[in-house]
Amino acid sequence: MAQIKLQNIAHSYNPNSVDSKYALKPFDMTWVDGGRYAILGPSGCGKSTMLNIMSGIVKPSEGRLLFDGVDVTDETTSDRNIAQVFQFPVIYGTMTVHDNLAFPLVCRGYDKSFIESKVNEVAEALSLEGLLSQSARKLTADQKQLISLGRGLVRDNVAAILMDEPLTVIDPDLKFRLRRKLKEINQKYQSTLIYVTHDQNEAMTFAENIIVMDDGEIVQVGSPAELFDRPRTTFVGYFIGAPAMNLFECDVVDSNSIKFGGAKITTETDLKSVNGENIKLGIRAEYVQLMKSTAKNTVQAKVESVDDWGNHKLISANFEGNIIKVKVKREVEVPAENVYLKFPTNNCCIYENEILVP
Amino acid sequence: MGTFYTTLKYTAVTIWSMFVIAPFLWALSTSFKDFNSVTSGATYIPWVDFEPTLEGWRVLLRSPAQGGVNIVEPYLNSIFVTCLASFISILLGTLAAYALSRYTFKAGFIKNDDITFFFISQRIMPPVVLAIPFFIMLGKLGLLDTLLGLVMVYVVLLMPIAVWIMVDFFNKVPVEIDETALIDGCNPIQAFFKVVLPNSIPGMVVAGLFCMIFGWTDFFFAFILTFTEVQLLPVAIVSLNSSITPWWSLSAAALVSVAPLIVVAFIVERYLSKGNLSGALK
Amino acid sequence: MTLIASNLTTKGKEEFFLNDISFEMSPGKIYTIIGRTLSGKTTLLKTIAGLIAQDSGTLSFNGNNFDVIPVWKRQVAMVYQQFINYPHLNVYDNIAFPLKQRKVDLAEIKDRVKQAIEQVGLEGFEERKIQALSGGQQQRVALARSLVKNANILLLDEPLVNLDYKLREQLREEFKKIFSSKASEEAILIYSTTDPIEAMQLGGEVIVMDEGKILQQGSAKEIYENPRSTKVAEITNDPAMNLFDGEINGKKITLNKEVILNIPKHFKDLPDGKYSFGIRASGVTIDKSGFPFQIELAEISGSETFLHLNNDQIHVVGLLDAVKNFNIGETVKVSFDIEKLYAFGSDGILMSSPYNGTK
Repeated sequence: MAQIKLQNIAHSYNPNSVDSKYALKPFDMTWVDGGRYAILGPSGCGKSTMLNIMSGIVKPSEGRLLFDGVDVTDETTSDRNIAQVFQFPVIYGTMTVHDNLAFPLVCRGYDKSFIESKVNEVAEALSLEGLLSQSARKLTADQKQLISLGRGLVRDNVAAILMDEPLTVIDPDLKFRLRRKLKEINQKYQSTLIYVTHDQNEAMTFAENIIVMDDGEIVQVGSPAELFDRPRTTFVGYFIGAPAMNLFECDVVDSNSIKFGGAKITTETDLKSVNGENIKLGIRAEYVQLMKSTAKNTVQAKVESVDDWGNHKLISANFEGNIIKVKVKREVEVPAENVYLKFPTNNCCIYENEILVP
Repeated sequence: MGTFYTTLKYTAVTIWSMFVIAPFLWALSTSFKDFNSVTSGATYIPWVDFEPTLEGWRVLLRSPAQGGVNIVEPYLNSIFVTCLASFISILLGTLAAYALSRYTFKAGFIKNDDITFFFISQRIMPPVVLAIPFFIMLGKLGLLDTLLGLVMVYVVLLMPIAVWIMVDFFNKVPVEIDETALIDGCNPIQAFFKVVLPNSIPGMVVAGLFCMIFGWTDFFFAFILTFTEVQLLPVAIVSLNSSITPWWSLSAAALVSVAPLIVVAFIVERYLSKGNLSGALK
Repeated sequence: MTLIASNLTTKGKEEFFLNDISFEMSPGKIYTIIGRTLSGKTTLLKTIAGLIAQDSGTLSFNGNNFDVIPVWKRQVAMVYQQFINYPHLNVYDNIAFPLKQRKVDLAEIKDRVKQAIEQVGLEGFEERKIQALSGGQQQRVALARSLVKNANILLLDEPLVNLDYKLREQLREEFKKIFSSKASEEAILIYSTTDPIEAMQLGGEVIVMDEGKILQQGSAKEIYENPRSTKVAEITNDPAMNLFDGEINGKKITLNKEVILNIPKHFKDLPDGKYSFGIRASGVTIDKSGFPFQIELAEISGSETFLHLNNDQIHVVGLLDAVKNFNIGETVKVSFDIEKLYAFGSDGILMSSPYNGTK
């Protein structure tokens, strides 16, 4: 268990060449002991690079890495006491489940009774105790992933458990179960869990704090609720949430209202200092309200399609050429032609040059 | 710090290169020496250390009647035999490797992996085991001391290399690519030639290189299976020997026999370094 | 140009890859095959393409026996989940390949390839090498190549599963547009997936597969409202439908000592006895007048919170229409919306649903 600090870390895979490019732009970050973090971003944004810098697989071209104040930038992976779980289960096929879990301890020369107690403890935490004597090769994908995870847990004083898209090979309905297991582990062992994914659902359900990355840069750090309600940039608004946040071009009218098409929408944002060209109104499909008739902050739009999403319906409504997406519960009746859509003032976000106006 | 390491790197590479090139330079300068220069221990530089002469080279072109060893004909024979045998080996080997990679064979307990291993095992056997059987077989066929006989024997020896390299290579090409070609309207043969083969050229180049090296440098079978009518280069060079070891002509002959391989290696290396090879070279 | 399968069976060493599969697919429609990994989806798609021959049973297309026609003459197209393209050709040649193979004349090839490239949004990429493209772009090339052939049957085997979450959403939208234009050309579109939400969003006819068998076939709405068995309910819901055992006794449903529910109207014809009851997470929520449950886990998803709840062996997942943090072990009051209850018999077969009443 350790506090992990990244000081001015940056990384380029070709630092000495003429057109060197940052895979990871310079930044500072502190990971608090025992926290649950997710690093979220599209392919190629640098999240795996960040994880590999922390585990030691990659040495950063700039900056220092500190575990509990101790500089570990030059240390090897095995010296850093990091457990890493990869996308594909890494198990020793020729050994039993028990031996797989015991392996890290056997390698480090702990005595037998200690190993036994640790293996049993972890196996119970992961609900694998019935399988200890089975050959690891015969297990299902999610059980194999649990073993990969278990190997990281048997070691005391693991600074952090780093997971790189560990649920990719798991069937959708089993993912739920594994996420629960991970949270239980985090509660019980108080180990820092860092989870890299491109799936915003997984990040939101798992983490206390999410780090959103794009193109080598950290775009926003916050709780799932913050990222959902007040995304700092239009990219975060697009990337988090299904469907992506509604974004419409608009113009500032007065100190807290904007003009969207022919409608005036009042927001809670102080717009006095906003004077740019690129102004956008953002509102989540979940927060747009269906009204019976026209009211304040309401526009009248024409229903173009209603998609059945199982537990929800997704309405696409056309307002003066803008498509507004509204997500409602399955039971809600949707009028066939015209709908009145209200934009609640506290859910409206205003973006100037793609960045949220606070 | 950077420049220090760079200097270190270049120094190490230079020293190593000198180690590698030294034997060639020695052979080159020796080929221009005569008996006295060699025995008196002269070294590298002509005209300074010793008097250069072309005698070593002329011996190679003189016919036996005049006291030389004409290596032109053995040289051409070797080129012919090596190229033809390599070509046939690659052709048959690639087809066999494709079949082993894509189709499942079963005869009793013998499966694909066993058949592949059977091919590879031919190279594990000591050549001496095959000497007598080949001799008798070629004798019965009347193919002893002929180019055709040699080519046949070399195909047997070189094809396993082709199979070995290409099976591995084909296994790395996803079978879904073949399937997509089938779906796009190719029958299996067209799928092989239009889609799989173009993607296997690096593998074939490497296999070709290995075949040529082994074929060109083989002495044992050339020696056993040929006498007077046909002679291959390695045998011809050996016959240069007499009571006085002719270092000068041996050096010349050595350089001349290595030259084609160096040329081929340079051509292939240029091709490989373009990044076309994706793991075929083990 | 209907595709009809009768009793297709393919067996492996111990398990059935296809177990007595029969269906009828009409042109101009999208069919989504949903099932877990190893349920037989890929085997079925490959059998339709002709890459695998079934052990028994027949396939017929347009009235003709499909089984005697080799792969290369079947007029099908397939997109795989791994991005499969011809590595030695650039984007243009990749897409033109099937047309060149069929000896279509060059001017027409140019037109059709251009059209396909526009459909998938790859204008300007014609000269690029495949290796220089990202995953999403490579899949677009594979899709363009499958579209350009105007095949009778278009097979897509989990084509989006190896892509980023957001890219998946984006491509799914694009697929729908492309598919509706393909459907009007009378092609049969078959799309396989493990994701229930994807199946819903594609909006075609859904076929549910498990262990090589077809469990249910119907519209997405039908499968959602009336899953034929507990297995279907498990496969086609995300999060999975809550299932728990209980008993109907007179006027009440008894789940355990504490949790006793009233009988909803649509259960009225069910005899007393033991059942498996099902209810979606959306039917279980926090309510002051409900039963005490312990919170095992709380997961925030967008503007909702999923709660994993436990009361003496009954484990359910409920949904709160707000974002709230809970402590593990906290007790909350939970109510069940009985109008959303399903009843399955001891054999797992649906006996009563909120949408269709009792069978």
